Amino acid sequence: MAPPEPTASHPDSTRTGPGRLLVAVYGLFALSASARAGVQITTKFSHAPVAYLLSAFAGVVYILATVTLAIGSPTARRIAVLSCSVELVGVLAVGTWSLADPATFPDATVWSSYGSGYGFVPLVLPVFGLLWLRRWSRRPRARGTTVTSAENAGEAAGGGVAHGEGIRKVQ
Amino acid sequence: MNGAVPTTIIVAGLALAGYALLMTALNRRMSVPLLAAVGVLEILLLVEVGIIVAKLASGERPAGLATLIGYLIAMPLVPVAAALWGLMERSRWGPAVIAVAGLVAAVLVVRLHQIWPVIHV
Repeated sequence: MAPPEPTASHPDSTRTGPGRLLVAVYGLFALSASARAGVQITTKFSHAPVAYLLSAFAGVVYILATVTLAIGSPTARRIAVLSCSVELVGVLAVGTWSLADPATFPDATVWSSYGSGYGFVPLVLPVFGLLWLRRWSRRPRARGTTVTSAENAGEAAGGGVAHGEGIRKVQ
Repeated sequence: MNGAVPTTIIVAGLALAGYALLMTALNRRMSVPLLAAVGVLEILLLVEVGIIVAKLASGERPAGLATLIGYLIAMPLVPVAAALWGLMERSRWGPAVIAVAGLVAAVLVVRLHQIWPVIHV
């Protein structure tokens, strides 16, 4: 049995901590959506062209989100926010479209009926993705927190302007 | 569901997911017993793949052959990828990745048997 872990709850990148799970699930959907689209487009494209092209589009968005969340640089995080947003809009739009106009979707996409064929994970995933990324835009670097809190402590200790000048004179 | 092997995989996958989720809830990181359980699931999946490849070799063909081959390639990779990715994590979220792998293995076997219900072992 592994020893209990003292919670080091300061993940140092979007791919660590809860992000580890997020990247794993995104990777899974990147693989399954694009593999499914690949098979459908190459074997029976004319059967349901709209559904298959949407599956392929979903696959590309999932790949982009997986890669950018795994990289986690500021630029990658901006692309990840964009991918997750497109994904959320996509699952809502395609979900509604597939219910309103079933004739266009003789075969299901990942996003049909809001992702019901995949346990509604496609609907929940972008929400968690955006929440996770939001946390990172608030706190750009994990180690920055320590610095910021130190500065806050300094300001608090400094008190008013007079105190600040006093300290400066001493130095 | 037909056959002892797929049923065993579904039970093992769900049990692994439950065990891994418990480890996540208890705030444990990846451990040797958890990795051993992943190894057991991997062996079971390889047996399943072996049985289906033998069926293919004997000349039988499912309707969706391309999809089936995709499943045969993806299934054994799931526990391996999850173990590698989970081992890189130094927190409770490592076992959480393993939980996903257990669930996915169970779902993949169910779907595989919707594509081609061949195993009556």
